[in-house]
Amino acid sequence: MEKPVATLDKGAICSAWNYCGQRLAAGSVDGYLSILDSRDPLSSSFTSSFKFKVHEGCVVKVAWIPPEYGVAVACIAEDGTLSIWEELVEGTNPLEWKLCTSFKTSSKVLDVQFSVTQTSLKMVAAYSDGFVKVFELLDPLELKNWQLQAEFQNVIDSVTIVGKASCLTACISWNPQNGEGQESSFILGFNSDTPQLNSPKVWEFDPAHQRWLPVAELALPVDKGDQIYSVAWAPNIGR
Amino acid sequence: MPGVSSDSARGALVPLSPESPAAAVYPLRHGLKSPISRLSISWSRGNSLRVSVFAAPSSDGSVNDGDGGKVVEVKLGGGDGEISEAHWRRIAYGSVSPFALLQSRKNAVFSLSKFSMNSSPYDGDWWDYIMEYSKDINALLVNQKSASVPVLDDPKSVITKGEEPTSLKAAWELLEMFYAEKPSHSWLPERLVDWLADYDSLFSGTHPTVHSKLVDFQKELVNLQVVEDDPKYWEVMSSALAVGWLNIVVKMLRLHGSYRLDQLSNRETENGLVEAVAVLISKMPRMRLEHEAGKLGECYKAKPDFAWEKWRGQINKLDSSAFWFQCAHQQTREGLRSMLQIMLGNANSLCSATYNWIELYISHFLYMRPLTVGLESMYSLAQKSIQLKPMASAHRLMGLIIGILGENTEVVLAECLKGFGPWMVAHAIELLTAGSDHAEMLLHEERQNLGGISIEELHRLVYAQVLSSFPLTWQIAPIYLISCMKHGMVLLQRLLSKQPVQDNQLLLKSIEICRLYELHSVTSNIMKIAGVHHWKHGRKGSGVFWLQQARDEYRLNRIALQLFDSVGKTISDESFKQWEGLIQLLGSDSKTAGGLEFLHKYRDFKKSLRQIHDGKATDSARQAVESLISLMKNPSTPQRFWLPLLYDSLKLLNWKERPLLNVSQTNLLLNKLQELSMARLRPDFIESELPPQALNSVRLALGTNLGRAILEE
Repeated sequence: MEKPVATLDKGAICSAWNYCGQRLAAGSVDGYLSILDSRDPLSSSFTSSFKFKVHEGCVVKVAWIPPEYGVAVACIAEDGTLSIWEELVEGTNPLEWKLCTSFKTSSKVLDVQFSVTQTSLKMVAAYSDGFVKVFELLDPLELKNWQLQAEFQNVIDSVTIVGKASCLTACISWNPQNGEGQESSFILGFNSDTPQLNSPKVWEFDPAHQRWLPVAELALPVDKGDQIYSVAWAPNIGR
Repeated sequence: MPGVSSDSARGALVPLSPESPAAAVYPLRHGLKSPISRLSISWSRGNSLRVSVFAAPSSDGSVNDGDGGKVVEVKLGGGDGEISEAHWRRIAYGSVSPFALLQSRKNAVFSLSKFSMNSSPYDGDWWDYIMEYSKDINALLVNQKSASVPVLDDPKSVITKGEEPTSLKAAWELLEMFYAEKPSHSWLPERLVDWLADYDSLFSGTHPTVHSKLVDFQKELVNLQVVEDDPKYWEVMSSALAVGWLNIVVKMLRLHGSYRLDQLSNRETENGLVEAVAVLISKMPRMRLEHEAGKLGECYKAKPDFAWEKWRGQINKLDSSAFWFQCAHQQTREGLRSMLQIMLGNANSLCSATYNWIELYISHFLYMRPLTVGLESMYSLAQKSIQLKPMASAHRLMGLIIGILGENTEVVLAECLKGFGPWMVAHAIELLTAGSDHAEMLLHEERQNLGGISIEELHRLVYAQVLSSFPLTWQIAPIYLISCMKHGMVLLQRLLSKQPVQDNQLLLKSIEICRLYELHSVTSNIMKIAGVHHWKHGRKGSGVFWLQQARDEYRLNRIALQLFDSVGKTISDESFKQWEGLIQLLGSDSKTAGGLEFLHKYRDFKKSLRQIHDGKATDSARQAVESLISLMKNPSTPQRFWLPLLYDSLKLLNWKERPLLNVSQTNLLLNKLQELSMARLRPDFIESELPPQALNSVRLALGTNLGRAILEE
């Protein structure tokens, strides 16, 4: 019933498949990122074709960038740095993975997810101080320049700011349906010491005011303050 | 399945109902030595699940053996043990056109029936279509591996081996028999007799069967000198007789020692009795249309009451004849008489001669109630047979038979799914709905608990998901997906969006399928991904091509802007060729980036510049000058490129032989230069990346040129 398809090197701690399930990115505790491919499109056995150092510390999460923007992976390190690496052929150089950009702030990045909207690529990053930032890619062919579009906390009441929050993990999931006339939305949850931040909320973009608004809170009144470990958006197949 | 909101029109969120049935749990083997610290789950194509299992990293830094992690792919519902993967693929590919043909015929029939007054769209043609469908699929199920067929008609071989039967084919034939053939229940028992003759061997693995006894006896037969002394000879013959394998019985009877020429004179009576039984057997009345050539028994189309009574009378007469006392050989006497008991329908004899309930069931039809019709009586008889010979273990075919006889559509579907997999259910539904309004309603009704789709659609989608899980069969999934009105299209879009684009063939195939089903947004998206992929991997030409196909103006604009960056810079020949080629590909679409027209003209200018290697070729130089002037005059030339253009043409301006520009041309350029100097004072002016003395060198060159030109005139 099950069949092994790949073996990961020692120290591997996280992995992510790309959009078509043909490549696997695996991050390890010593800061290396491995990219595994299958030699033959029909076979289902994956071996490492690239391995390079992305951070000094442990890589805690990897996420693929949507294929409309290239073959690229975002890595989050234990110290909270976010870096984006892309597979490129430049000039006469052979195929290699290069660093496109890196974000380092005082608060740590906990999770990052990408979404393709009608016009651009958006990146949502959740930070350890309870804030979430939405970035937008300016040039569709270069993954270097990201513009900060919005910054807010995962609370319904946007007026008060929850200070001094300390979050351990966060989880984000974009709504995969990007139909005509529908604004993009994502769901965000935290695992922190501040109950208001924890509960998963669905954020939707309001183009009239150019802001992100919380449209739903997915929690029963009883367990509103519970820590959230993982969220995932189910694909809509026509209901 | 998650709970569905009652008011799904507004899309309210509903928490997962805690009363949903417990999920099935499967153990997963990963082969890691260290304990597991993390798991990562991801759905791949179709219904395959990929699980990454990570071992706990060692804290003390020691080298432990074993890997850091393993990734396994899980596909539930492993294949049929009797059918190889290659055969399964053949079946999957081969079933596509009968299925598609039937769907199109169905659509045609229904659209016609809307206009006609018939209440039911089923008529003679419809049964023909169903039969054709069933036969086409049946042909696919023939197992290519056949055991060797003995060429010689060995008198001592009682069983000839043809192709090896599979349960799948047996199951399909059952369904065809009961559902696809026009209601002809009067012949069903006979069809079952034939069916058992073909497929009894399938039960030999888990149940005792007549077939296995025959096979065993066949092995011993080679060593037997006097067959009639062996009690097994008689047992096996009785069993074969009980299930109606008349040819085998007669053949075995003729092996009797009394036929040997040297024995004939002594054992006349014995031989007479044996031959009498053989003749009676070969004259058994059977209720069927006709026999295959060479098969024994008399065929009757309608209830042969008279013939049956006559035949039974003859058996009784033989049974009570005096010749038995004259028969010296005891085993022959007893063996033949027990065979006569079977033919007379003695329940005990039949029970002891058969080994599993199906064989007992068949024997009832042959000898006890040869004229039974009606499924209800067939079902109750089956139940009685099971009581008499309980099943040691479940067998998928047995479950299926009971479901069919019980006339319970849902049970039949469940047995098909459990025993034979999604392919079977997806294709068998067509047979089940063929003649039965009840089944049709049941399977076509839209159900809320399934999300608003019918059972038929559900099974087709499930099958399509199975097909999508394998790289060699995903291409036939679309045919099944589009026959599902509700969710098919969306699933098809998802299937196509998840196909990789690196392989050109696969890419073209995906696009072809998209075009076939008019999925324009998916098509342009796939092309966009391909374009970006090629562009970033050094194949810029292919990249631009695909982006143009996708009509991705956004990215094409960006590419054009990148090309503008090369204006005014010295670039190598290689890069120039590439740059030139890209401009060519981009065309002169004036929508993009302030007009690619300028780029084209600039390219021509650059080309002509390059042709001037030494200071001598005056004609080409003049041409270059013409291009330069036209470029500078052209309003579509962005101002920021004026200085780079002039800097590029320093060679021309400093022409040794003679001034290439006349007075008016030089004046024009000087004016432009002046305009440029004014513009530089503005705050939003973008400096081009040229060496700081560029402006001065150009001014100097133009001034010199002016002087020389005036002198010339």
